[in-house]
Amino acid sequence: MKKTYLKYVKRSFAFTLMCLSTLGYSQDERKLGPVSRSYVISQATIVQGPGRKIEKGTVLIKDGLIAAVGPNLTIPPDAIQIKGDSLFVYAGFIDGLSRAGVSRPKDDITKEKAKDPGNPTPERAGITPQNDVRNFLNPVDKSVEELRSLGFTAAHVVPHGGMLPGCGSVIFLGGNSADEMVLVSKSSLYSELVIADRVYPNTVIGVMAKWRELYRQASLTKTYESTYASNRTGIDRPTTDRVLEAFYPVIDKRLPVLFRADKALDLQRVLSLQKDLGFSLIAVNVKEGWDVIPKIKSSGAKVFLSLELPEEKKEEKKDDKPSESPFTDSLEHKALEKRRLDFVALHAGQAAAFQKAGVPFGFSTISSKTKDIHSSLRRMIRSGLTEDQALAALTTNPASLLGLSDRLGSIDTGKVANLVISRKPFFDEKSKVQYVFVDGIMYKIESKENEKAAEKKTDKP
Amino acid sequence: MKRILYSILLTVVTLEATAQVEHGSVLIKGGTLLTITKGTLENTDLLIRDGKIIQIGKNIAPPQGVKVVDATGMYVMPGIIDAHSHAGLDAINEATSPVTAEVFTGDAINPFQVELYRALGGGVTTIHAMHGSANAIGGQCETIKLRYGVKDPDGLRMEGAPRTIKFALGENPTRVHGGGNNIVPRTRMGVEFVIREAFSKAKEYMEAWDRYNKSKGQKGFRGAPPVYDLRLETLADVLKGNIIVHCHSYRADEIFMLLKVCQDFGVKKVVLQHVNEGFKVAPELAKFGAMASVFADWWAYKFEVYYSTAYNAAILTKNGVTTSINSDDGELMRHLYHEAAKTQKYGALSDDEALSLITLNPAKQLGIDGRVGSLEIGKEADVAIFKGHPLSTYTIPMITIVDGIIRFDREKDPDDMRIYIDPNLPLEETTAADTHTNDVENCLQNAEEAFNYMFDHN
Amino acid sequence: MHNLKINFKKAISAIGCLMFAITVSAQSPKGEYGSFALTNATIETVTKGTIQNGTVVISNGKITAVGTDVAVPQGAKVVDCRGLWIYPGMIDGGTQLGLSEVGSDVRTRDFNEVGDVIPQMKALSAVNPNSVLIPVTRISGVTTVLSLPEGDLIPGTAGLINLYGYTPEQMYAGFEGVVLTFPNTGRKGFFDKRTDDEIKKAAEKSLKRLNEVWDMAVQYYKLDSATGSKGVSYYPEMQALLPVVKGDRSLMIKVNASKDIQAALKWVAEKKVRKVIFSGVVEGWRVAGEIAKAKIPVVAGPVLGLPTRDYDRYDKAYANPGIMMKAGVKVALCTGGTENVRNLPYHAAFAAAYGMGKEEALRSVTIVPAEIFGVADKLGSIEVGKNATMLISDGDPFETKTNIKYVFIDGWKVPMVSRQTELYEEFLKREPGVSKN
Repeated sequence: MKKTYLKYVKRSFAFTLMCLSTLGYSQDERKLGPVSRSYVISQATIVQGPGRKIEKGTVLIKDGLIAAVGPNLTIPPDAIQIKGDSLFVYAGFIDGLSRAGVSRPKDDITKEKAKDPGNPTPERAGITPQNDVRNFLNPVDKSVEELRSLGFTAAHVVPHGGMLPGCGSVIFLGGNSADEMVLVSKSSLYSELVIADRVYPNTVIGVMAKWRELYRQASLTKTYESTYASNRTGIDRPTTDRVLEAFYPVIDKRLPVLFRADKALDLQRVLSLQKDLGFSLIAVNVKEGWDVIPKIKSSGAKVFLSLELPEEKKEEKKDDKPSESPFTDSLEHKALEKRRLDFVALHAGQAAAFQKAGVPFGFSTISSKTKDIHSSLRRMIRSGLTEDQALAALTTNPASLLGLSDRLGSIDTGKVANLVISRKPFFDEKSKVQYVFVDGIMYKIESKENEKAAEKKTDKP
Repeated sequence: MKRILYSILLTVVTLEATAQVEHGSVLIKGGTLLTITKGTLENTDLLIRDGKIIQIGKNIAPPQGVKVVDATGMYVMPGIIDAHSHAGLDAINEATSPVTAEVFTGDAINPFQVELYRALGGGVTTIHAMHGSANAIGGQCETIKLRYGVKDPDGLRMEGAPRTIKFALGENPTRVHGGGNNIVPRTRMGVEFVIREAFSKAKEYMEAWDRYNKSKGQKGFRGAPPVYDLRLETLADVLKGNIIVHCHSYRADEIFMLLKVCQDFGVKKVVLQHVNEGFKVAPELAKFGAMASVFADWWAYKFEVYYSTAYNAAILTKNGVTTSINSDDGELMRHLYHEAAKTQKYGALSDDEALSLITLNPAKQLGIDGRVGSLEIGKEADVAIFKGHPLSTYTIPMITIVDGIIRFDREKDPDDMRIYIDPNLPLEETTAADTHTNDVENCLQNAEEAFNYMFDHN
Repeated sequence: MHNLKINFKKAISAIGCLMFAITVSAQSPKGEYGSFALTNATIETVTKGTIQNGTVVISNGKITAVGTDVAVPQGAKVVDCRGLWIYPGMIDGGTQLGLSEVGSDVRTRDFNEVGDVIPQMKALSAVNPNSVLIPVTRISGVTTVLSLPEGDLIPGTAGLINLYGYTPEQMYAGFEGVVLTFPNTGRKGFFDKRTDDEIKKAAEKSLKRLNEVWDMAVQYYKLDSATGSKGVSYYPEMQALLPVVKGDRSLMIKVNASKDIQAALKWVAEKKVRKVIFSGVVEGWRVAGEIAKAKIPVVAGPVLGLPTRDYDRYDKAYANPGIMMKAGVKVALCTGGTENVRNLPYHAAFAAAYGMGKEEALRSVTIVPAEIFGVADKLGSIEVGKNATMLISDGDPFETKTNIKYVFIDGWKVPMVSRQTELYEEFLKREPGVSKN
C-alpha cells in the first residue's frame, strides 16, 4: 500500500516537475542554419542583365556564388529547389546611398550647448571623417529588411552625423554580424552640405570654407609626413590629426568622396568644391540634376539619382470646403498648376535625361519612402526611361560606378548570388518581390499577395 | 608652391567661367543717352555687339540680325549698380564667430531668387552680394551681374571683379557676440580690438609663411610648414591690398577708428557702408581716400542712426568723398533711381551727380569702373531704359539689358518669372509682409534669428 | 530836434527788430500764428480745380478766402508765392509716428501693449508730441497722420493727429478708430516658418476668439441701451467697443491676404458692423470687385512694397491702389511707416505712375483720407472754412526735385527746421575741417 502511494507521489511529482518545466518558460530560439547552401531556381524567366533574357532558364547557387546559369542545366540533387514558372529573376539591386542597418551614435553631442560657438570641437561641429560606418552596423535593424524586401541586396551605407560623419562601406543587406555584412570596408569618404547646430560652421558658406581648409591642411600635413618619414631626426614631428588623416586616401585619389547633392544648387556647390580641390567625386541622391548634366560630364563625376519624386497630384484634403479661394478655376490657378506639373515632370524625366546625355547613373534610396520606390521607378519609365535602362541603373551601372562589376550587378557565373525574384516582371504595376537572395542566402518576402500566391500553388515534386 | 598652384587653379576657374557667359547684341535707337561721364546726348543711338558697347552716335544702321529697340522719347542710362545687397544668396551671416574672413558668399549664390528679377525691373544690372553684419570681420563678398535666367550660380559671377570683404562695426556685432554669449566684442572698444588682433595675427602668419617659402627652396632645408589657416590667409590678402574692405559702420567715432586701424596696418582700399554719420567725418574720409555707400534716407531704426540726416550723401559728395547710394534691401533695390533722386531734394545735387551715385561711383567702390558704370565705347553693355527721366518719381523702367541680353522687358515678360518651382509647396503661397520693412535692416538677417535661437536657450 | 526824436525811435525799433531776429535764430525757431495772405500762387484745391495766380487767406487757424481776386486783409502777413504751388497738407492713413522713436529699442516703442483684446488702449495717450521724427515729417508736407496700435486681434484705438502741437489734445485731428488685426492666413514674412496647418489653425482660433468678443460686445451694447448705461459695470474692453457696435466709431480692419479680405468682408456683413475701414489691403487687387461692392473704403499701403507672392507680377504693389480705384473702391494711401512717413508723396507718385494717375493719387493723400476719417469738413482740400493746413512748394510735391518752402498746420506757420536740416547746416562745411588749427 505504502509502496504504490510513494510511487504515485514520485510519479506525480515528476509529472509536476515536467509540467512546470514546460509551463512558464519560453524557449530561446535555437539557431537553425539553412538546410543547404545550394539552391536551384528552375523554369524561370531569368534576366541576367539589361537586354539579356532567358525565357525558361535555371540558376544554380552554391556557397554564396552563382555556380551556373543557363537555359538547360542539370539540377544537382543537393540543391533546394524553387519552382520558377511565373517567376522572374533579376540581379539584386544596388543602392547608392542608404542608412539601412546603421544605428545612431548613443550620445548626440552635436546638440550640446557650446561655450564658444566659433571654435567648437570637431565632433561638436559634425566633423568626424575618421568614423567608420562598420562600427555602427546592426544587421537586425528593421531598415535592412525593409530595403531588402524591395529587391535591394547591396547598399552603400554611411554613418549618421553632420557635414563629415565618416567613411562609408558597401554592405550586403543580410548577414548575421556587422563584419559578415561588409563587402567593401572603406568605400568612400561621405559628406553632406549640412550645417552644424548653433556652432561653426553654421551656414553653407561656412561648410564650404571649412571643407577647403581641411583638405588643404591635410595636403600639407600629408606632404610633410612623407618628408619626415624619410629622416625623422632634427625636425619637428608632424602633428597627428585623425580628422586630417582621414583625407589622405582622398588626396591620393584612392578613395572617392561620396557627396550628397539633393538639390540643384547643392549639386553645383559640390561640383565647385571638386573643381577647387580635385578629389574623385560621386554625387549621390541627385533630384534636380537635369540642368547640370553638361557640368557633370566635364567634371567626370559619378552620379546616383534619387528615387524620391514629388507627388504628382496635390492631395485634396477632405475637410477643405469646395472653393474658398476665388481662384480655383481661374486662369491664374490653372497656369500655376500647369507650371507645377511641368516641374514635376522634369523630376520624373531626370533619369531619362541623364540616359539621353550618355551619363551613366545608379539610384539611391536615402530620402525615399519605401512604399513609393516602385511607383517612382514606374513614373520614370513612363517619362522616357526604358525598363532595361532602369534595370541597368539598379544593377550593372552601380556595380560599375563602385568598381564591383566583377562581383555584382548581373547573373553570371562566378558573381555573388544576389538575386531578386518577383512573381511578375519587376516593373509591372502589381509586381511583388517574392524572394531575395543576399550573398547566397534566401530570404522570403512576407506579404499578403505572396501568401495568397503560395496557397494557390502546390508544391509539385 | 601650393599657393602658386591655387592661384593657377583660380585663374583657370575664372577663365572657364568667362567662356560660359552669354553675350548679346542690340541696337538702341533714338533715346536720350545719360552717359554719366560724357554728358547727355539727345536722340542718339547706342550699338551693342557681343556684350560690349561699340558705337554711340546718330543714325546708326542696324547690322544684320541684330535686335533693334526703339527708345524714342525714352531715357537710356548705364545699368544701376547696388553696392550693398544680400539678394541672390542662400546664406548671409556665419554668425558663430566675430571673425569669419574665410567664408565666401560666392559659395551660396542662388540664381533662382525672384528678387533678382525684381531688381532688374528697377534697372539694376549688378549687385554686391554681401556677407551680413553680424561679425566684426565677416566673409568675402561676390559681385554678381543679374543674368536672370542663367541656372548655373557661377554664371552670375562677374568674372574678374576684384575681391571684397565685409567688416562691421557698432551695434550689430556687439549685439550678436558680446550681448549674447560673452564673447568679445561687447562694446565698440572690443570691435576695434578684434580687428587689430585679427590683422596682427594675419601679419604674423604672413611673415611665418614668407620665411618658410624663402627657406624651403634652399638646399638641405627640412622644416615643417606653418599651419594652413584659411582665415588668416584671407586676412593676409586684405593686408596685401588684394581685397577691398567694405565696412558697415554708422557712428562718426567708429568710422574714424576704422580709418586709423587701416592706416596703422597699411590697408588703403576701404569703402564705408551705410555710414549714416559719415557726414560728420567727411573731411577725414576725403583725406584718407575712403569711399562711402549710403542709404538715401533710412534712419532711426537703431540708436546708432538716430542722429542721421538725409543730406548725408550730398554732404559727402560736396566734401569730395566718392559716394554711392545702396539699398541693403530687396524692396529698396527696385527703385534705387528714386533713392538717388532724393539727393536732389536733400542737398540739391545735379542730375549727373545724382545719377553717378548709382552708376559710376558704386562701380568705383567695387573696382569695376573700367568695365561698367557709364555709357562709353568699350564698356560692357549693362543698360537700363526708362520711360520718363530716371530722376522723376513718375518714371517707369521699361527694359534692362545685361551683357547685351535683354533680361527685363516690361511689355513682354510674363507675370510668373520663377525659374525653379518647389512642387511640394502649396500652389498659392502668400506672404503678407508686415509693414515694418525697415525695422531690422537686412544686414542682420539670419543672424538675428540664429542669435535668438542660440542665445535665448541658455 | 523833432526829427531826431523820430529817427531815434525808428532806430531803436530797428535795432530792436534786429536783436529780436538774432535771438530768434539763436534759439529753436518757433511757429508763427496769426493772419497770413499767400499771394500769386498756383492753388491746387483738389476739390475745385486749379487756380492760377491765386491768393489764400489764413486767419484764426482757418482758410478764410481762396481765389484770384481776394483782398489782403489788414495786418495779414503777406507771403509772396510767385512761382510756387499751394496744396492741402498730405494725410497718411496708417503709421506709427509718435508711437515709436528708435525702431529696434523696445523701450521707445509704445504701440504694442500686452493682451490680444485691448481696444481701450489709446494711441493718443502714448503719442509723443516732441518726437524728433515729427518735424522731419512735417517739413516734407505730410501734415496729418493716423497713428495705430499694433498687435494680435484688437490692439487698441488709433488716433488721427496733426503734426503740430505740444500735447495730444492740441494735435488731435478729430478721428479715432478701433483697430482689428483680422486673423491672418498668409505668412508673416521671411522668418515665419510655421507649417500651413499651423497657420490655418492659428487663424481659425483667432477668428473664433474674435466672434466671441464681438458677440459679447453686442450683448453689452444691448444691456447698455436698455438700461440707459446704468445696468452695466466697469468693463473697459466692452466700453471701448461700444461706439463701434453703436455705429459711432469706425472699426479699422488690418487685412492683407486676398483670402483674408474675403473672410473679413463676410464677417463684416454677418456681424453687421456699421462703420468699417480696411487697412493695408496689399492683395486688394485680387478681390477689388468684392471690396467695391461692399462699399468699404480702403487705406492701402505701403505702395513701395514687394509683391506678396513669388509668382505675382513684379510691380503689383505699385499697381494695387490703381487697380482697386478703377474697380470702384475708395482708396487712400498710407506708408505704414514711422520715421519715413515723409515719403508718402513718393508712394503716391509710384501709385500714380503705375496706374492710379496723378489726379487720383493726389486725392488719395488729401481729400479721400479726410473723407474716410470723417474730417473732410476740416482737412483734405483748399476750401474756405477748412483748417489752414497746407504746404507751399516750388513744384509738384510728388517729385523729388521739389522743395517744400512753407508748411501751415491749423493756421500755424511751421518752422521749416528739423534735426536733419540742422545737421546739414552744421556739417556741410564743417569747422574745424581736417585740422583743428
